[in-house]
Amino acid sequence: MPQIFPKAVNPLTRFLVLLLPMGFGATGVGLAAFYRSSYATGKEEVVPQPVAFSHAHHVGQLGIHCLYCHTSVEDSHFANIPPTATCINCHQEMWHGADMLQPVRDSFQKDKPIVWNRVHNVPHYAYFNHSIHVAKGVGCQSCHGNIDNMNLTFQSSTLLMEWCINCHRNPQEQLRPQSEIFSMTWAPGRPVNGKAQVWVREDLPNWGKNPDGTDTAHASMIGQPRPTAQRELGLKLKELYDIRDGVTMTSCSMCHR
Amino acid sequence: MPPEANDAAAPNPPQLWRGLEEYMDSPAFHEAMANEFPEDAAEWTDPVSRRNFLTVMGAGLALAGAAGCTPRPASMRKIVPYTRQPEQMVPGVPLFFASAAPLAGYATGVLVRSHEGRPVKVEGNPDHPSSLGGTSAIDQASVLDLYDPDRSKTPTRSGTPVSLDEAVHAVRAQLFDATGQPKQAVRLRVLSGAVTSPALADRVAAFLTQFPQAKWTQFEPCGQDNVREGTRRAFGRDAAVNYDFKQADVVLSLDADFLGDGPGHVRYSRDFAARRRVRDSIPAGADGEYVKPENMSRLYVAECMPSQTGSAADHRLPILSGQVEAFARAVAAKLGVAGAPAAGTLPDAAQKWIDPLVKDLQRVRGKSIVVAGDSQPPAVHALAHAINNHLGNLGTTVFVTAPVEARPDGKMLALADLVREMAANAVDVLLVLGGTNPAYTAPVDLDCAGAVKNVPFRFHLGSHQDETAGTCEWHINEAHYLETWGDGRGHDGTVAIQQPLIAPLYNGRSAAEVLAAVTLAGDTDGYDIVRAYWRKRFADEKRAGVFEQFWQETVRLGVVANSAAPRVEKPTLAGGWAEGASPAYPTLGADEYEINFRPDPTLFDGRFANNGWLQEVPKPVTRICWDNAAYVSAATAKKLDLDKDFRWTGGERGRTEVSVVTLTYQGRSIKLPVWLLPGHPDGAITVHLGHGRERAGAHVGNNPGQGPNAEGKQVRGSNAFALRTAATPAFGTGAKLAKTTDHYLLACVQANWVMTQVDPLNGTVIDRAPVRRGTNEQYKTNPWFAKITPTAAGETALISQNIPGQAGARNPESGTVRQRGTQYGPDHDHSNGNGNGHEGHGHHDDRLVPLTMYNPNDRLYPDGSRGPGRRWAMAIDLSACTGCSSCMVACQSENNSPVVGKHEVTRGRDMYWIRIDRYYEGTPNEPDATRTYFQPVPCQQCEKAPCEIVCPVAATAHSADGLNDMVYNRCVGTRYCSNNCPYKVRRFNFLSFQDWSTESLKLGRNPDVSVRSRGVMEKCTYCVQRIRYGEIVAEREHRPIRDGEVRTACQTACPSGAIVFGDLGDPASLVGKWKAEPSNYGLLAELNTMPRTTYLASLRNPNQELVDALKR
Repeated sequence: MPQIFPKAVNPLTRFLVLLLPMGFGATGVGLAAFYRSSYATGKEEVVPQPVAFSHAHHVGQLGIHCLYCHTSVEDSHFANIPPTATCINCHQEMWHGADMLQPVRDSFQKDKPIVWNRVHNVPHYAYFNHSIHVAKGVGCQSCHGNIDNMNLTFQSSTLLMEWCINCHRNPQEQLRPQSEIFSMTWAPGRPVNGKAQVWVREDLPNWGKNPDGTDTAHASMIGQPRPTAQRELGLKLKELYDIRDGVTMTSCSMCHR
Repeated sequence: MPPEANDAAAPNPPQLWRGLEEYMDSPAFHEAMANEFPEDAAEWTDPVSRRNFLTVMGAGLALAGAAGCTPRPASMRKIVPYTRQPEQMVPGVPLFFASAAPLAGYATGVLVRSHEGRPVKVEGNPDHPSSLGGTSAIDQASVLDLYDPDRSKTPTRSGTPVSLDEAVHAVRAQLFDATGQPKQAVRLRVLSGAVTSPALADRVAAFLTQFPQAKWTQFEPCGQDNVREGTRRAFGRDAAVNYDFKQADVVLSLDADFLGDGPGHVRYSRDFAARRRVRDSIPAGADGEYVKPENMSRLYVAECMPSQTGSAADHRLPILSGQVEAFARAVAAKLGVAGAPAAGTLPDAAQKWIDPLVKDLQRVRGKSIVVAGDSQPPAVHALAHAINNHLGNLGTTVFVTAPVEARPDGKMLALADLVREMAANAVDVLLVLGGTNPAYTAPVDLDCAGAVKNVPFRFHLGSHQDETAGTCEWHINEAHYLETWGDGRGHDGTVAIQQPLIAPLYNGRSAAEVLAAVTLAGDTDGYDIVRAYWRKRFADEKRAGVFEQFWQETVRLGVVANSAAPRVEKPTLAGGWAEGASPAYPTLGADEYEINFRPDPTLFDGRFANNGWLQEVPKPVTRICWDNAAYVSAATAKKLDLDKDFRWTGGERGRTEVSVVTLTYQGRSIKLPVWLLPGHPDGAITVHLGHGRERAGAHVGNNPGQGPNAEGKQVRGSNAFALRTAATPAFGTGAKLAKTTDHYLLACVQANWVMTQVDPLNGTVIDRAPVRRGTNEQYKTNPWFAKITPTAAGETALISQNIPGQAGARNPESGTVRQRGTQYGPDHDHSNGNGNGHEGHGHHDDRLVPLTMYNPNDRLYPDGSRGPGRRWAMAIDLSACTGCSSCMVACQSENNSPVVGKHEVTRGRDMYWIRIDRYYEGTPNEPDATRTYFQPVPCQQCEKAPCEIVCPVAATAHSADGLNDMVYNRCVGTRYCSNNCPYKVRRFNFLSFQDWSTESLKLGRNPDVSVRSRGVMEKCTYCVQRIRYGEIVAEREHRPIRDGEVRTACQTACPSGAIVFGDLGDPASLVGKWKAEPSNYGLLAELNTMPRTTYLASLRNPNQELVDALKR
């Protein structure tokens, strides 16, 4: 049987021995990188909206509290997108003739909701609950980033499962005191209003009160300085807020059901 | 039965058997056990060619590529907020509203869960006496009726859509002349179902005042006619009767299925179960939910068709329906009831009953109940009341009250009068007001549908374009009870307010609204009508307080306080109560049978024929779905030569080809499949009504994809109304049964999911004793009897210890406390032997290989601990379970389980996460020696789950709180897990069973549970969505979860409270207490699965004297 390949191909074959595994490896790394890329995850991708609502203006410049619009974030899995009536509360007085707000006025007058494009897309089989995260000391900023600087809102995290799991395994890296949940400027050890951080009553579970109205043992913490390192603070908060261990929090049915 | 086995039992018949095949140990049964799924379950056996299949697949892939494969998730989905958000509504947090689910006029109070304005799940209202928190399967499924895609969506005239105004004006033109004055000459008839609703009755009364010449007829094909007439005979007045089964020591049911049928059966199930839940360590307590073994009540049932009540009985007498009256007379005579008619002759078995039964009834004077069934003639009801009176039960366990129905009249007779008038052209205008479908349900000899055609103006209000709508020119679509205001009364008369949760989907109207609209009454809105009625009544009754406060509180609670029908203080028997006894029961000819008509346990009179949940849920006792059959006994089948023609296609396993018979009664005949039912008396045939509807609906009731019925029509089952006459609505003699050469495929789920196992060494079936059972006497001598595993009796102690919840439980042998982790406990006695100390007591595990190859403390946590998590667990009391199937429908509703259709069921593909196994004890050829047990089997949530170790992709894994999690998005569909599950509780989506296209059905799904698609395994999750919700609520408040805060759907639905669920880690939890009971055992626990779900043994309280008498 004649040879199919000439002898000159041999070096190429030797190269292939080296190149093929490298190629496979590179493909794998490439796919993994692609999977995590902002292109694939939608991270930092600005989503067009029917009304060019700016968090930077409303939150960063005007200082409107998150809860003014996202009313159910402490009670429900869903933080709520405000009804048109909430916009109209202010915009019947200010900028009530602006062209930009025409869709809002139309919506209110015709009783037709504004159809927003969803920015944070969690898969259907993942059941995320805002209220428990907020109650356990995960700040808005931890997942949503510096929303006070965003003009059109974008997703600041990958929302990949590994991103969720990282925090469920090591929640202490993200926890902050209850009174700072909605803050966009808080950081461990950073002075608040020019003063060093101290524990306040709001930080304590159930405001440091027993059902009968007396103070719990935690109440003695009030006025004491908060730890200034995230690790130390996080571990303290994990204990204070009864955050369950990583095995429990990474059980499948925690998020999938 | 297959020819090779005939009716002979296996050499060693099993003590408990699920079906005849198992009893006979047939080869087909062995084959069924060996296979996880029926042999063709994995095949694509639908009538779809391979080419077609490829086309479908190709299209599917292309679409998936277009929609699913883009890696870019952003901007794919929309968020649509409110423009003005309703107050009190928190998006994402469900709300519960009290309402009232009506059935045949009677209402059951319910709480309905609403997600963003969509009613999704029905649960019982603990404040309503007809419910006390439980529901029936029909109540559970009522929410699906709301979303039924085949509902009538528009008013029509001769089938053509018209506007609502047009229809209303058409009726008005008939009622009023040009000047707006009511026409007095027009002969007006109103036909409705039974009405208990005070507001609707008030509206009808106003109508009848406005039109004095009008007549109001109520018709219920499966109503309370006999009960009402019997009560009237007994007490000489219109009255209603209700019972307190909690106070009854002895109950005698004369063909009464009070646990499964009729108004109040949900409540009765709860009360009855309270006297059956035997507890050793839990005190009876203030709520009276538990009893000591000596205080267990005793139930005697004499009945024809095996019912739920008969299955729960301590003694069951299979007897022809027509002989029940003779039996009742014999009991009355023996008791010495004054004025009782003379007793006739009784069959031998029944005769043996009389003495022990009467003695037992006399033993507990004033604390017994004799209750007669809805299908028994009035004479039997009168006899039952006379016996109750004689025994002093009136006022202690049996309560006579004012009537509950708005106008208590004989429905069947009233309809006959109406039909006669219509036939004689004596009716000008007929208004049919919903809740009744006489064109289908009326007795066949009346020819109602034919007579209706003589009426010049025919109007119909109904939820569907049903048979009656087809005979009427005008039609208005009726609103569902969750769409409109109303009210209704429960079994004891307590009024429940029917509060809507959603605006009418198709702009439908209620009966009261239509009556108001056509008569130009002031209030035409349902809310105004109901509120105005109650405002008037509030003033009339001089209730204390302010009306607005009363109204708000009543609507919130769903129950009108103190509205039960007033009790008659000292009821006395009327003089002539014994008159009008039925004539002597004719002897049956050689080839004649007694025919029994019974409402279908799930479809009722056929009104639910288009409800997929109720069609598919296996009927209690028979376990057949999607069809009805002629139920006969083994001896009758043999006589008709039916037995040899049973063709089993590879095991029962949900598909059984049976003979088709022609059933002839009074010259009319239908064809239907025949089913051999253990426990059915010889010489009788039972058929369920409600099947064979020709205008039920295109999606379910007349879906051509489900195949034709035995008569070749595109309907589900055969229509037994075609045989039923006005004179014999419940039973009659002279029916004939003839075998045809046809065969028919019946879907019976009983032998799906067989847990039985063959011993690999000798080929015999291993007795796993799935249902451990005993008597209360046995329990008194050895409460631990249920713990003993027949296959591994020596290891009972160890097995028992390995069952979660048994730590600290008492030693089965000595009754003292032992610690977890030590094999024999601190009290282990080695002293009574003579050598190594092991001779005197033979319970040691002498096997070379230990029972478990795992370290007993091998848990999820590296330090060997169970971790700080909660330990969710369930216990099911088999003494309380009546097999009603409410849990199955509740589970389906809560967990978005699909309806798969009859043909998929016959392939073993039913998708119920909780199934109810029915076991028989005894021999099929002796109906009176057959005893029935029910066992609900959800996922056992094994701590050592066999399914988890075989999954190649870790799609099923353990959570820290002990749940056996199923992760749909990981599952690749190998089905290894199901193969390895000893309990057979895993369900596989062989096809895309979910309806992804019908818009109305999407509204009804539970948003907290994933909707599964093809190729995914699923199973019971312990309602993990409820657990996580409960956890989140509790943790937000930084408090532990309260016991009972998290309730599973099956637990909530169970009318008899047979299921408890909770955290084993909570020492005070009820589930922990139930599991610490000596009668608690783990199903197949000898396999060392450590099941979190356990069972409490089924206890009966037989009368030893009767047992002895029957032996003689």
